[in-house]
Formats: sequence, structure tokens, C-alpha cells
Amino acid sequence: MTTLTFPLSRIEGHARVEIEVHEGEVISTRFQAMEKRGFNLMVQGAPAEQMPVIVPRICGVCSTAHHVASVKALEDAYGVQPPPLANQIRELLLLGQLIQNQATSLFVFTMPDRLGVESIFHITDEEADQTSQFNIAKRALMVRQLGTDLISLAGGQFIHPVKAVVGGVSSSIDQEKADAFRQRLKAALPLACELVDYYWEISLRMKDRIGTWGDDQPAYYISSTERDNPRYNSSIIRVMTPAGECCREFTANAFRKELTFEETDYSYAGRTSYQGGVIRANSLARANMTRSMGIRRADAYMRRLRREFGHPAHPILLFDLCRGIELVYAIELASQLLEVDFSHQEIDLHYTPRDGEGWGLVEAPRGPLIHHYVIEKGNIAFGEFIIPTVHNMLAIERALRVAAERYIHDDQVDLELEQAVGRVVRAFDPCIACATH
Amino acid sequence: MTLKKPPRFAVLQLSGCAGCEVSLLNANEWIDQFDLAFMPLVTSAYDVPEVEVLLISGGVRSDEDLHNLRQAVKRTKKIVAVGTCAISGGVANLGNRDEVRRLFLSQTERHDLPRLLPKSQPVDTFVDVDLYLPGCPPTPELFMGALLGPEDFVASKTVCQECGRKKLKDMKPAHLTGSRGGEVDPDICLINQGYLCVGSSTRGGCRALCTRPGHPCVGCRGPSDILIEKDSQVWLESIQRIFAAMTDIPAEEIHEALLSPQLSLFLFQFSDYAGTGQAPRPKEKVL
Ligand code: SF4
Ligand code: SF4
Repeated sequence: MTTLTFPLSRIEGHARVEIEVHEGEVISTRFQAMEKRGFNLMVQGAPAEQMPVIVPRICGVCSTAHHVASVKALEDAYGVQPPPLANQIRELLLLGQLIQNQATSLFVFTMPDRLGVESIFHITDEEADQTSQFNIAKRALMVRQLGTDLISLAGGQFIHPVKAVVGGVSSSIDQEKADAFRQRLKAALPLACELVDYYWEISLRMKDRIGTWGDDQPAYYISSTERDNPRYNSSIIRVMTPAGECCREFTANAFRKELTFEETDYSYAGRTSYQGGVIRANSLARANMTRSMGIRRADAYMRRLRREFGHPAHPILLFDLCRGIELVYAIELASQLLEVDFSHQEIDLHYTPRDGEGWGLVEAPRGPLIHHYVIEKGNIAFGEFIIPTVHNMLAIERALRVAAERYIHDDQVDLELEQAVGRVVRAFDPCIACATH
Repeated sequence: MTLKKPPRFAVLQLSGCAGCEVSLLNANEWIDQFDLAFMPLVTSAYDVPEVEVLLISGGVRSDEDLHNLRQAVKRTKKIVAVGTCAISGGVANLGNRDEVRRLFLSQTERHDLPRLLPKSQPVDTFVDVDLYLPGCPPTPELFMGALLGPEDFVASKTVCQECGRKKLKDMKPAHLTGSRGGEVDPDICLINQGYLCVGSSTRGGCRALCTRPGHPCVGCRGPSDILIEKDSQVWLESIQRIFAAMTDIPAEEIHEALLSPQLSLFLFQFSDYAGTGQAPRPKEKVL
């Protein structure tokens, strides 16, 4: 038996893929998370109210999602409902995160696969010129930066936000800054659309070259955004069958009953399943489970997706295209949400902390994220983090097997396999720092 | 250093959160001025090539981190330790309390994977560092400062001086507000409002990123120059003195709050606080 090992770059964190082959037959495909810091243990004994500042450090890419999930878990334990404007500001925070993340995944992580370059910083002008006249790297980074700037505006700090606090947010958004930022978003929207169109186009070309969108069998889908007008500051988790039926809804505190979690001995991240079946979370899950985005440009892209791929759609590389739709959506929606009056409204409530148990849910870019805390004497007695990447582990490994079988033959291994491994893993945009925490 | 052919730099990511890298990506200006030779988060390279500057983020958590660190430093002229994790072992340092560490190691050892070291270590436990760039993460502006030449980077001594909130003589809280203070006044010093803000002892350079929108500084930039080479006890006392002068909060209440994990993570990242036993870093080497 031979083991082929593929180190991975252009993903968040340290991971590799191992494929075991015996006489041309694929025996196993493993996705290994290689790092571990142990946040669930480290937070034991920390004052509960410091969690929203500590947990963003689980991951600098998904920090905002952790920040908000943490505040929501504490609010659940204390029995506090934040005022509507605070929820709106939190939604803006999560949209900033979505812009930042989807732009990074699209342009920094996966665009090089489509252009056959080492990184987005290695795109030569000639390459860029062939299809369009703009400097892709700069534009892509500019769109991406809208995300971090929105996180700063709504969250105080740009990577590890601080403004969501139990009971609301610690300060509102300055009206003038909101207006100025709205103008920036408006100006950037057509640029983002152009980039997404270009991405769609080079994806089509790649599909022609490799002959597949990444086929794999259908799976269960999981998401916590609503069917219409998806919001990321979410409250209910939904599951959809491989055939496209919504089969289950549950709240964060029921996740243990609904999902099965297991550890493995070859990875620092575990994996989850739904009734013994493979689950998929992330952009494609949301797209399959959304009827309407409720906003013009994003809905136009959704219609294109449905037209070209049907509903529900299952090919792996569609995860990437769906990220493009969400990038447009987040820019459009954020500029709409910034139109409200930010002054003279309540943003923060007084509350009394108490011991107990709480669950906090948000839809992170990679899927539903849950923080679960038990608080005793004001300190964290038990903390756990239910990470969306972990829901995708089985799906990643199954898709890797499909790719491996495609490129491993009796007598030889097609050189395309290495590229394929990268493409499959990046389509799921796994976050290793989160998955292992 | 910024003239002629663009200098090549690399980013080695050990065990951290990638927030440092995300911040670097925001500092777009380097695209025109530097040649990024290696950064696994964004390039498909697997080995660090010869470079002028090596930025290292993350703590040394596993034997693989240590191996990668030792290999990479051979190929660079200048080593910059970036962020809390590289400088102190980082947030994973919280896990260095003995009871957590034992629990951690007994639960998380896997056979086919990099071995976890008994504790998360700062980079300078193993290699000499030329420049420390604290911040969790350092802002894009600070990254540019480190790349372009720390001599030219202009910053105030402390976060307080960059914050601009007014300190009032007659507004003396009797207790800490915790995080349940309700809305924060936008113009008045957070200490007057009862928050445990340590901006007065924290080095400037972040432009008071957190305090301006109303969140107390937790000291992620580490102590200011006058404190950095001293024992952490001295910093504790300096913060105590400020609260004694500006508030009526009992000293024990402040003391207890200062020993909380969130501050041990950030403000005390340079100290012997977490039992790292390191000598103080010379202030000339800290941006
Ligand atoms: S220093 Fe902070 S931002 Fe940088 S890797 Fe560590 S936790 Fe993340
Ligand atoms: S205000 Fe304090 S905690 Fe915030 S970035 Fe500056 S030094 Fe770090």
C-alpha cells in the first residue's frame, strides 16, 4: 500500500491530505488538521464576561462570528434580549466578516487555481490583460478590505472586534461615518460584480479544461439562515435532505441531540454527521436552502445559478460560485442596513449576570457556529465551540475520494491529482484554527 | 532598505489564529514595495526561500512548529516576531496553567500528527529575534512600520496619549463597571466611567483602536517603554496608582481584576507573569 501526502496552502491553518492507494485502488482519503491550541480547556475559569474578548482569538479569519456567538451565549444564560438597533449593528458586523471572508476565499485562495499562478500577487499584467483591463490583485484586495473596514466601523477593532457586549453594543455607529461608508459600498458594488463575473468566467474555463464541476453524491445540507432574506445573526438551524426537502429545524441548545459528533485519531479536528449521513455547510448549503435573497443584484446571480445548475445543486465547485453571490449580497445589504438612523436609539440594556447555561448561534461564513457555556460563580466552568468546518469534514473526505478515484489509475497517478486535491479542499474553505481551536 | 529591487519577505505562520496575516493583507501598500516570497495562507509555496525579512506569527506549540521555525530562520537576514502569540506563546499561553496543561496533553495527543510540546513557547525561546512587533494583531500601519523601518515610525508613548478622551477630576467611580455599564460616553476617559482600561500603561502605536469606540484597552500592544524592561510588579503598581488617583475604587478590587486571564493574555505578554522565565526584551527592539 502506498500513501500519498499532500501539504496544503492557500487555506486557513495547517492541514494536509493523505490518500492511501493499493494497486490503483483508493483505500482511504483523510483530511488531517495538524494544529491544536485547546481553547475549550483554556477558557475554563475565565470570567464569563471576558469571553467576547478572548474567543475572537480562536481565529483571526472568523473572529467576528466568535465574538457575536459568545455575546449571544452569555445573553442566553443571563436572559437578556438586546435592543433592535444593537442587533442591526451585529448583523453589519457579520456582513463585514462575510465580505472579508468570501473575498479572501474567492480571490486569494481559489483564483490562483483558475489562473494557474502561485498566488494572486503573481498574476502578471499580460495574464490579467487577456480578459480584462484591470489589476485584479489590487481590486480584489480593495473589495476585501471593505469587509475589514466594515468590521472596524461596526465592531471597533478591525480583526478582533470589541463592540458587541452583553445587552447590546458598547457604542453606536457615527451617522456621518455610516453615510460615507455607504457611499464606498455603493461605489464598490459594480467592481465586486465585475470581479464575480470574471471569477464565474474563469471557473467555466477551468471546468472545460478539467471536465467536471467536481461531482459527488448529494448530501444533507445545514444552515441557520432563513429561507427568505437570509440573516447571519441567526436563531434556528435547519437541515435539508439530499433531495431538497427541509426536514428538521432546531435551536442551538439541541445540537447534541440532532447531530452526531466523533473524534478521530488522525486529526486534531473531529467530525459531525446527521442521522448517519454526510452533511455540508457553508455557501452552497445556504444557497440551496434560500428561496430569495431579497435584494436585486444577489437575486440575479441566484437565478443564474439555478438556471445553470438546477436546485438543489450539488457539484463541489459551486461552493466557490455561491461565495461570489454572497459577496455581492453582503455589499448590497450592508449599504441598505447603513441607511437607518443610528442616533437616539437604545443600543445597550442593563442586565444582571447570573450563573447558568447558555448557547449562542450565528451563521459564520462556513456555516452555523455555536458557543455553549456553563457559568458558575461568574466564571466559565465548561465551554465548547461547535465549529462549522467540523460539519464539513466527512463531506471533504468523500469529495476527496471522488477526486482521487478520478485521477488514480491502475498503472499511474495523473499529475492533475495534486491540483484537484487543492481545489476540492478550498471549495469547502475549511478553517483549521477554528476546527481544532 | 526600501530602495532598488524590492526586498523579499516571507511570513511563517506557527500556531496562531491567522489574524496577524489578515491584518498584513490589509496593509496593501506593501504590494508595490515588497516581494512576497512565501506566505502559505496566500501562496502555494511550501518552503521558505532566501529572504531579507522573515515575519513570524504564532507560538511554538508543536514539534512541527519548532522544526519549521529552525529551518526558516536559516534563510533570512532579519527576524521579526509578530503579534502576541509569537512574542509570548500567545493566547495558547493561557493553557500554561499546570492543571489545564495536564488535562490538555492527556486529551489531545494523537499518534499520526505533530506532537504537541508541553507548553506553547514564544519564538525567542529558540531563536534570536531582531524586532518585536506587538499587537493582537498589529495594525496594518504597524506592519508597514516594521517593514519600512521602525526608526521612522512615529507613535505616542502610550495608548492614553493617542486616545483623546478627556480625563475629569470630579468623576470618581466607586466600583468597576464590568462590562455592564450601558452606553459609554464618547468623550470621557473610560477610567472615569469605571472601566478597567490599561491604556495608560500600554505602548502607543495602535492609535487607540479599541478605546475610541468605547472599549477599554486590554493592553495587546504590551507595556510602554518606561515599563517594558521592568518587572511586571512595577506595571501592576503603576496601573494601581492611576486608579487610586482617578477613582474611589478599592485597591483590592483593581488588583483582582488586573490578574484576570484577559489581561494576562495581553498586557502581560512581555512579562514573567505566565512563568516563562524570559529576560525582559530591550525596548530598542520593540516597535
Ligand atoms: S497575536 Fe493575536 S492576531 Fe496574531 S495570531 Fe496571535 S491571536 Fe491571532
Ligand atoms: S487599544 Fe489597547 S487593546 Fe486595543 S489595539 Fe490598542 S493596545 Fe491593543
